[in-house]
Formats: sequence, structure tokens, C-alpha cells
Amino acid sequence: MSNSVTQLKEGHSGRITHFTDDRIAGKLTAMGILPGSRVRVVRIAPFKGGYYLKVDGMSIVVRNDEASSIMTTTEVD
Amino acid sequence: MHKIALAGNPNSGKSSIFNQLTGLRQKVANFPGVTVEKKSGKLLMPDGEEVVLVDFPGAYSLYPNAEDERVVLNVLANPADGNFPDAIIYIADLTSLDKHFLLLTQIKDLGLPCVLALNMADTAEKEGIVADTARLAAFLQMPVVTVSGRTGANIEALKQTIPAILRSEKNTTLLYQPGVVEQAVLRQVQQKLGIENPYRALLVAHHVDKLPHLSAQEKATVAKICEAEGFQGLRLQIAETMRRYQIFTPVLQAAIQKKAETSTFSDQLDAVLTHRIFASVIFFGVMFLVFQAMFAWAAYPMDWIEAGFGLLAELLKSSLPAGWFTNLLTEGVLSGLGGIVVFVPQIAILFLLITILEEVGYMARAVFIFDKLMQQFGLNGRSVVALVSGGACAIPAIMSTRTIGNWKERLITILVTPLISCSARIPVYTVLIGFVVPSEQVFGVFNLQGLAFMGLYLMGIVAALGSAWVFKKILKSGEPSWLMMQLPPYRLPVWRNVWQTIWEKTSAFVLGAGKVILIASVILWGLATYGPSAKMEAAKLEATGIAEQKNLSPTDSADLVASYKIEASFAGHLGKFIEPVIRPLGFDWKIGIALITSFAAREVFVATMATIYSIGSTDDEATIHDRLSKARNPVTGVKIYTAATAASLLVFYVFALQCMSTLAVVRRETGSWKWPLVQFSFMGLMAYLGSWVTFLLLS
Repeated sequence: MSNSVTQLKEGHSGRITHFTDDRIAGKLTAMGILPGSRVRVVRIAPFKGGYYLKVDGMSIVVRNDEASSIMTTTEVD
Repeated sequence: MHKIALAGNPNSGKSSIFNQLTGLRQKVANFPGVTVEKKSGKLLMPDGEEVVLVDFPGAYSLYPNAEDERVVLNVLANPADGNFPDAIIYIADLTSLDKHFLLLTQIKDLGLPCVLALNMADTAEKEGIVADTARLAAFLQMPVVTVSGRTGANIEALKQTIPAILRSEKNTTLLYQPGVVEQAVLRQVQQKLGIENPYRALLVAHHVDKLPHLSAQEKATVAKICEAEGFQGLRLQIAETMRRYQIFTPVLQAAIQKKAETSTFSDQLDAVLTHRIFASVIFFGVMFLVFQAMFAWAAYPMDWIEAGFGLLAELLKSSLPAGWFTNLLTEGVLSGLGGIVVFVPQIAILFLLITILEEVGYMARAVFIFDKLMQQFGLNGRSVVALVSGGACAIPAIMSTRTIGNWKERLITILVTPLISCSARIPVYTVLIGFVVPSEQVFGVFNLQGLAFMGLYLMGIVAALGSAWVFKKILKSGEPSWLMMQLPPYRLPVWRNVWQTIWEKTSAFVLGAGKVILIASVILWGLATYGPSAKMEAAKLEATGIAEQKNLSPTDSADLVASYKIEASFAGHLGKFIEPVIRPLGFDWKIGIALITSFAAREVFVATMATIYSIGSTDDEATIHDRLSKARNPVTGVKIYTAATAASLLVFYVFALQCMSTLAVVRRETGSWKWPLVQFSFMGLMAYLGSWVTFLLLS
């Protein structure tokens, strides 16, 4: 079972399973965001704005569109 | 001479290491064909050899996401490139090493001699991170050194490794073993294009459309090979990246000891600074303080500079024989120079503060906070950096847009950034605001003129966002828009980097814009001093006649003569020529002259007004203000500078694109004259209409 990052609440984490968009996946993997990485949603900007994510200790900002193509397993910590 | 390149991810602290290695012996230029900044410097090796060190733009991989990253690929994919290095110093951040190994292993597979510098050793030590450099060196087959760009620790040891790697044998073993399709493609590309290194051939296949060094025929050949073999670039790229991570992650896990991840200082700070509600309040508070500090701190050095130039002019006048040459020196050259130097404090202070905000890591947060809002106006979160820097100078601001990956968003940012009031508008505002707004305190703390100043800045910001919105509606783009940006951990600024940046930007202003201003001042002096001789004589006679008739005092009649003479000069003719066009805005021919000359650069306005009204040695705003407020039509006695005229002129300067350097930079960034022309026209139209309406309302 996997959900997109946009379904995680602030402060929740998951492990990336795959990406649903090859173009975005190309850019994300180039920055070191890969299937298997642990991702935590640090903050969501208001009005469906950007996602501030922590991936394996790296802080990264993506837009709603990009975040919704990152699929994760849900794990609560 | 050997060339060494400094490569690494953005945020790896590359520039600190570069500054440590080269000190002040740096040159700033551009990579050919693009405006991505190229810094280079000379470096003396322990064995006495001198090498050139080139700082590459930060990149995450050889599959670039933005234009500055693309430069790294373009150079490394083409051994014939003038910037192609003989060896590479790879800088990686020891505190987050795994993300830095992708590009490193790609560069290694290109067969370039390499040394790995593990940066931020000081921070890593504090965080309890220990690296087994011997294990890393054995895996990578290259020297590994831990260094600190902040403290300078081990920089000498890093230098010691360079002679050896320059002499080392070419390493031909690949860390990444290409798959079947990749093998088939790269073999044929190697053969047809004569490329020795297999990984370089693979990169050529991936990036065939965008590599500038390939001929059309080579491109067609490679494209045909890819098609025949069913080469799916994007899929293979992702697979390659994942495979590389699989190869180096176990090694890193064994070589790096780390404490368990805890909530860091950055996380706690971000809880406040990126807060849903407080974030934007804090941002505007910070910006308010930045501009407040700029005005407050710059006031003193500006006074000294003005006083200094005044003294110098007096000194020259009294010590040199009277004549045209002395006049040219004091009234042309010296007042022009003064007009340049007087801006240095403001520009330096604004760059100081903006650079600190960037170095600390705050600007990246601003990008996150404002991305959504910026999208509404067709911009990108990264546009915030350009718009804020535009408050100092549009030129570096426009150059900073190259990090915006989407062309339409980047173009709109470039087009609207000059609407943000830059530091060159400040002196114009200072001189004119006194005519419109009295200097009074309101509510005890605010100065009314200060508030008017802020109003002008706001007008610029609103105009920038409004026109961005219009461009968003007009311009079409099929290219997807995106934002992916790393937020670096908050760190204390490396002061060496801050000083270096200020020095670079300020000297670029003095040498670049300064040249234009100086030349404009001298030409203007000539135009205002000389004219058709018969007319000049007639003007003098007429003025003397009127003065006698009206029985004016000697000073008044001298002023009258000067005023008649400048009217008869070449500058006067030019101003008169355009007067019909600018009359509806409330401007006379004298302002017309200033408008023409300040097209070179806005700050010339003040120097021009000084020349026209006093033919004088002053650049002091108060003096000029005083002079303008006394200016009357010599015959009718009606004041020329009314509140309506001054307000109209202010509005004109808020909107009009009067800066040749900006137009030149926009041409270079957009690659054609089309966009600078569009920009000049829409801003000019806004200026004309805005001024016209203002004048109608107020007079």
C-alpha cells in the first residue's frame, strides 16, 4: 500500500516506494531522493503551497505537484 | 599551464575553499555563451608550478536541472573546451556525504584525475561525525583530505596532493557498469564520434540535443544510434543514478560514523522562520531592517565623500590656471567621479546585508515561503531573491535568475525586476521628494518624507507584480514549471566570502556603470558649455540687457546670464527639441536634458541637474534641492519646480527603464534584442502614462 507524500500530515514520515512521473523522478533522483529514502514532511506552506521535506537528513523544498508524484509507505513515528 | 577545476554540489562550501586557495588573486568572467559566472585564480603549487584554478558552478549530477548546472556537463563532455580541466578538486560536505557522491562518481568515471576534499570538518567534528578517509580513498582510488573552508584547516594538505594527481595515470575502470542497451549505444557513439572514454560517450547519447559542441551531423548520427537501439534516456538515467547509490551507499555506511539524527538547531530555527503565519511577517520585518540599516549607515560615509569631492574641486580651482581645462576637470570629470563614488557606501552595505542573508541560509527559506504567492504572478519562489537584490541593483539581480529552471518564469522575473527601485534611484528620490512632501514627523516616530520614500518603493513592487501578472497571461509556455531546492542548514556566515562578494560587486559597479556615468558627465559638460557661437553671444547680450533694465543685483544677473547661455547651448537645443513630448508631464527642457542623459544611468540625473543649474561643483542633494527650489522663470518669476512637476518626475523615475547596463545584461541573458526592447517599451509607456496622470491630478 502506498500513498503520495501529499497525504502525509506535517511531522509524519514514510519510506519512498516509487515515483509516478518519470520527468520529476529524473530531477528528484539527481538530487539524491530515491526509492528507499525516508521522507518526513516538516512543513506545508499555506494555500497548497510548497512542501518542506526532510529526506535522509537533507532538507528540500518541492511544489505540491512534485510532492504528489512521490509515493511512500506510511510509517508513524 | 595546468587547469584545475573545483567541482561539487551547491551548498558544499566550494566558494569558501576557492577563496582559501586563491585569496584575492581572482578573476571573474563568464563561461562562453552563457552568463553563468566563472571565477578563476592562480595557485602556486608546493613544487613551484603555477596552476589555474577554475570554480565550476555547483551541480548535483551530470544530468542538469538548471542552466548553471548545465555548464558543468557542457565543459566535461567536451575535452576540446577551453575550460576543460586537467584535474578536479571535488568538494563534498562531510556532514551529508551521501548526497555528494553521485556527481563525484560520475566525474570519476570520466577518467579525470581527482582529489576528494571533505569540507566542513569543523562542523562535522562538533556533530560527532568521524570519517575513515583511508577506506574512502581505497574505494575511490583517489586521495581524500578533510578540510575546513571556514577555518582554513588542512588547505595546505589539499594543495600537496595536486602535483601527484596531475602526474597520475588515467584511471579507466568504471564504477558504474552500463547495461546492455547503454553498452550498445556507447560503443557506437565512441566509434563514430571518436570518443575515448565510454562514460563520456554515454553522456553524449543522453544529452545529444543540448550539447553545444556537437555538429548537426554528429547530433543526427547519435540520435539515429539511440533510436535504433531503443535508448530510453530518462529511464536509463534514473536506473544509473539508483545503481550508483547502491554501489557507494554501503561504502559510506562503513566509512562514516554518525550519531543518531536528532532535532538540530536548524530544525528549531525553521519551526519559527518557516512558520505558516509568522514566516512572512518575519520576512518583511527583516527586509524593513535591511533597508533601514542601509540608509542609516550609508548617510555618514556619503557625507564624507561629498565633502571630500567638494574640497578637491575647490583645491583644483584655486591651484590651476582658470580656463576650459580646469573647468573640464572640476565640473566634468570630478563631478562625474563624485556621482559614482557617492553610491559606493549604499551599494556595499546593501550587498553586505543580502550576502549575509544568503550565506546564513535565510534566502532559501524565503524562496519556500513565497513560491506559491509568486506562482500567482507567473514567477517562481526563486524570483524572490532576484526581486530583493533588485533593491540594490538590477544587474546582479537579473544574473541571479539563472537558477530558475522554467524559461517563462525566468523571463518574467528578468522583465519585471528593474521595476524594483534600485539604489541608483535613491539620489533622484532624495532630491525631488522635498518638493512634494514636507519634512515633518507624524505619529511621533515616522518622518513624512521617509514614508513617501517607502511609498515609492511600494509603487515599484506593485508595478513589478502587476506587470508580471500581465506577462503571465500573455506569454505562452508548454514547458512544465517546477521547484526543487535544497535548504542548507543555518550556518554563521564565512566572513571571508562576504567581503569577497562585496568587493566583487562593488568594484563591478564602479568600473562598469562608473565608466558610463563618467563619460556621460564629460559629454554633458561639453554640451552644456558650448553651443553655436553666434547664438551664445546673442544670449549673453540679451541677458545682460534684461539684467540692466530690471536693475538686478550682480549675482542675480550672473545667474540670468548663465541660464540664458545654457539655453543657447547644444544641450539646451536638445532639451528644447524634446520639450513638446514631455510638456504634458509638466517637464521643461532642462528636465528634458536630464532625462536624456540619465538614460545612460539614472544616477546621472543628479549630476546633470548640478551641471545645468550651477554649472557647479556640487553633488550634494541638499544643495541641489536648494538650487532647484529657487529656480524661477527669469522673466515671469513663476516657480518651475512645483509639487506637481516633482511628483510627476518621481513617478517617471519609478517606472522608466533608464539604464543602458540593464538593457545590455537582459540582451545577454535572453539572447536577443527582442526582450530588452519589450522591456524598455512597456516600462517607458508606464512611466509616461503614470507621470501624465500624476501631473494632471496635482496641477
